[in-house]
Amino acid sequence: MITRTPSKRRNWLSFAGVGALVLVGALAAPANGEEKVIRIPMTTAGPGDLDPVQGSTTYENRVCSTFYETLLEYEYLVRPFKLRPLLLEEMPTVEQDGKLWKFKLRDDVYFHDAECFPGGKGRKMVSADVVYSWKRLADPEYTFENWWLVDELIKGFTEYKDAQSALVSSGAAFDYDVSVEGMRIINDREFEIELTEPNQQFAWKLAMFQFSIVPREAVEQFGTEFTRRPVGTGPFVVENKDAWVVGSGLTVVKNPNYREAFYPSEHMPEDVKAGLTEAAGQRLPMVDRIEFGFYVEAQPMWLKFKENSLDYTTVPQFGFEEAVSRRTKNLKRDWRAKKITMDKVPLLDFIFRSFNMEDERVGGYTEEAKALRRAFNLAMDWDEMNEALYFGMALAYDGPIPPGLDGHPDNEEHRVSNSTRGPNYEKAREELRTAGYKIGDDGKAIDFEPIRFYTSTGQESIRIVDLLQRNFETVGIQINPVFVDFPTLMDVTNRKNAPMFSFAWGSDYPDAENNLQLYYGPYESPGSNHSNYDNPEYDEMYEQLRTMPIGPERTVHIEKMRDILIEDAPFCGSLARTRVYLTHPWVKNFKPTETFYTYFKYLDVDMDHPARGE
Amino acid sequence: MWGFIARKLIYNVPVYLGIILIVMLALRVQDPVLPQLSKNPSPAEIASVRENLGLDRPFVIQYLDLLKNVVTFNFEEESWTQGGKSVGEMLKDSIPMSLAITVPTLGLSAIIGVCIALVAAYFRGRAVDKILMIFAVLGMSISYLVYIIFGQFFGAFLPRQAFGGENWPFEINGYGALFLGEGASPMNWVSYYMLPVIIGLIVSLGYDTRFYRAVMVEESTRDYITTALAKGAGKRKVIFVHMLKNAMIPIITRVMATLPFLITGAVLMEIYFNIPGMGFQLINALRALDFPVIQGFVAVLAAMFILTVIATDVLYALVDPRVRLS
Repeated sequence: MITRTPSKRRNWLSFAGVGALVLVGALAAPANGEEKVIRIPMTTAGPGDLDPVQGSTTYENRVCSTFYETLLEYEYLVRPFKLRPLLLEEMPTVEQDGKLWKFKLRDDVYFHDAECFPGGKGRKMVSADVVYSWKRLADPEYTFENWWLVDELIKGFTEYKDAQSALVSSGAAFDYDVSVEGMRIINDREFEIELTEPNQQFAWKLAMFQFSIVPREAVEQFGTEFTRRPVGTGPFVVENKDAWVVGSGLTVVKNPNYREAFYPSEHMPEDVKAGLTEAAGQRLPMVDRIEFGFYVEAQPMWLKFKENSLDYTTVPQFGFEEAVSRRTKNLKRDWRAKKITMDKVPLLDFIFRSFNMEDERVGGYTEEAKALRRAFNLAMDWDEMNEALYFGMALAYDGPIPPGLDGHPDNEEHRVSNSTRGPNYEKAREELRTAGYKIGDDGKAIDFEPIRFYTSTGQESIRIVDLLQRNFETVGIQINPVFVDFPTLMDVTNRKNAPMFSFAWGSDYPDAENNLQLYYGPYESPGSNHSNYDNPEYDEMYEQLRTMPIGPERTVHIEKMRDILIEDAPFCGSLARTRVYLTHPWVKNFKPTETFYTYFKYLDVDMDHPARGE
Repeated sequence: MWGFIARKLIYNVPVYLGIILIVMLALRVQDPVLPQLSKNPSPAEIASVRENLGLDRPFVIQYLDLLKNVVTFNFEEESWTQGGKSVGEMLKDSIPMSLAITVPTLGLSAIIGVCIALVAAYFRGRAVDKILMIFAVLGMSISYLVYIIFGQFFGAFLPRQAFGGENWPFEINGYGALFLGEGASPMNWVSYYMLPVIIGLIVSLGYDTRFYRAVMVEESTRDYITTALAKGAGKRKVIFVHMLKNAMIPIITRVMATLPFLITGAVLMEIYFNIPGMGFQLINALRALDFPVIQGFVAVLAAMFILTVIATDVLYALVDPRVRLS
């Protein structure tokens, strides 16, 4: 039997429904009803994957951080970097000196709406989702791309991975229902993780996008398409699989069901003047849509920024002369007149030239071998390279630990007491003599056979090599440059065939351990220790470092490790770049950083600004 | 003719097989597995991923598998770097974008190049001819990249600044669907593809004009031209009717030889204008050692090249009655 709502009541209901819609619309949209859109460039062909378990690049990190979330995130405005709960109700409780971690999830986190859920409505996230998401790191289907983050970290996890890999090799399916000893679910909101040993970096890893939480239903239903149809808990969603066009761009839209989250209030004193605290307490996300544009070449990106079609940009190399004063290292007057702001973001960079410690000529641990490598160091002029290639805005320093981290030499010159950073040609000649070379009347080593130096192709590499050859030539050191593409460079170093090569490392998290692991013996090529440095004393110190609590003792320990490396000189270093961001005046709340990318939800735009282009 | 075509196809089968073989061998010089792996992979992990990617199989099996896929037009194998996307999907999406640039460029360049060459031949040795050839050589001397950078700056950025973005037809970069997909409109061709076409046209006109002029000049020395002129035929008619018709053979050859490269697109153009065409996709795949994409794209390109060569021979015979297919 059909019943009909009495007409008066029906009218009131209709009006109430329409009124509610109008109210929601009014709250969501800007005053003029226009959708808020922010347009962001990325200097890449784009991410390769939108699946956090298969992503590893900074570009994947950026886009994934809009629709996926992790248990912890970085405090947006606070420096030095600090973590805070994101999907957790509070920071985890740490017991047994850092071995047992107890977590409690928020009660209001829901996955995005998707057809993998009953009725298409995203369900609440529970502890099992966390465990499932992390188990995917062990699945051979995902090529173990990010297994290194959890290798030997969680109790029973490596054994689980090995057992499952054996099963998969024999034709069986990976079993996500087998329990891992160190991952224990208490209830839907509480779980605990037991580590194999105390590990201070675990907290930082919990903020890495590879640890994002995903729903099992979506992975199982969408299969390989999950890499193009992400389902997460984040403030933005990918509308459909056509929202991502490789080589062109990716658009994400506001998640209409995002929980109540607010712009942070904790800040630094300088943030007040920069206007970064005005939005404190406002609901997130602040914009309706983000349009990521991918630019393999910087010229179109730069032109679009100048015609106001991009909301902020990094300054490409050729753009410095146009926008930045070489003398003051600040924006030129005509750019400041447009109210464009400039932010200089120091990167957690370790740019260096590496030696293969197993090479016959440049490798080894004898005094002569170390002296030869130190001679290279002393002949290099990092300041000249900085001026020529980075507009003088990079930072040359001693050791492998970038600025801002414990163990970085934090004095004016960023030097250590046993510094071998050049240029110091007299000292370089002394070291060459120790290495067994005779120095001629012209101040150059006699009969120095050129050393093969591998570097990637590109204009910048050519200029670097020119500069290096000129520096080294002053003392008679000769290099024979070999320009190869990046895959070939990796291949050659993985096979230990490159005596000397150019390399760079961006820290995955702000802890010196991430850089010092580059010289840990067991990580030799094809692992991350491309130098194949093998020092038992250093290795032992690294193993101790992993379990040491943060504090002055740990800092001293790090400094000792740093000084060992400078003494042994498995590399010539170092440089940290400064990325320069230019932001148009209609963008609000932007404090650029490249350590994390969860800040897109805080960005706001003034769509009515007269200068904003289409 | 059909017998000729059939014979040509059969003769080119070993050529095609050889191309696929060489490409597959060349790719396997470098190990594609390690870049996909964890930072400190164990031998077991390396072996597992190699198995997942099918690289543990004997090379002959991999080769035969690829051939089987090609012959059955099965391009369902997924890209290693663009998860969830098959090679077939990538081809389907990228080829139209490449063609939207290259086909108009080729067509316009051929027509305009022939016209200019005819004019140059008509005024051969005189100021008009010399001026046209100077411009042609100048055009050839400037790097392609310079054209792209200047074209983007002077053809889009500056006019948009001067007249307003909404009053200028060309975008700095980007692409739009023409017929299918969200926001599809033929007008998108003007916004996104026309400027790359104009740039491509300027680049190729220099080369084409010089070549076509040389063809015209050589044709103009033939006996039948002298005879026609001696019999009182107008110079204009002799050049634009009789000579043009006979000069079509080398022109057709040149145009046909370019056809297979149409779908690879103009790689630099696609990169600078953010148009994810086939050339762009192939370059990305090469950088990332994405074997399925490289192998799939090469298989399609090689087939196109062989078919085009055969088509050129057939067209020759149709245009020139002196030519017999054998």
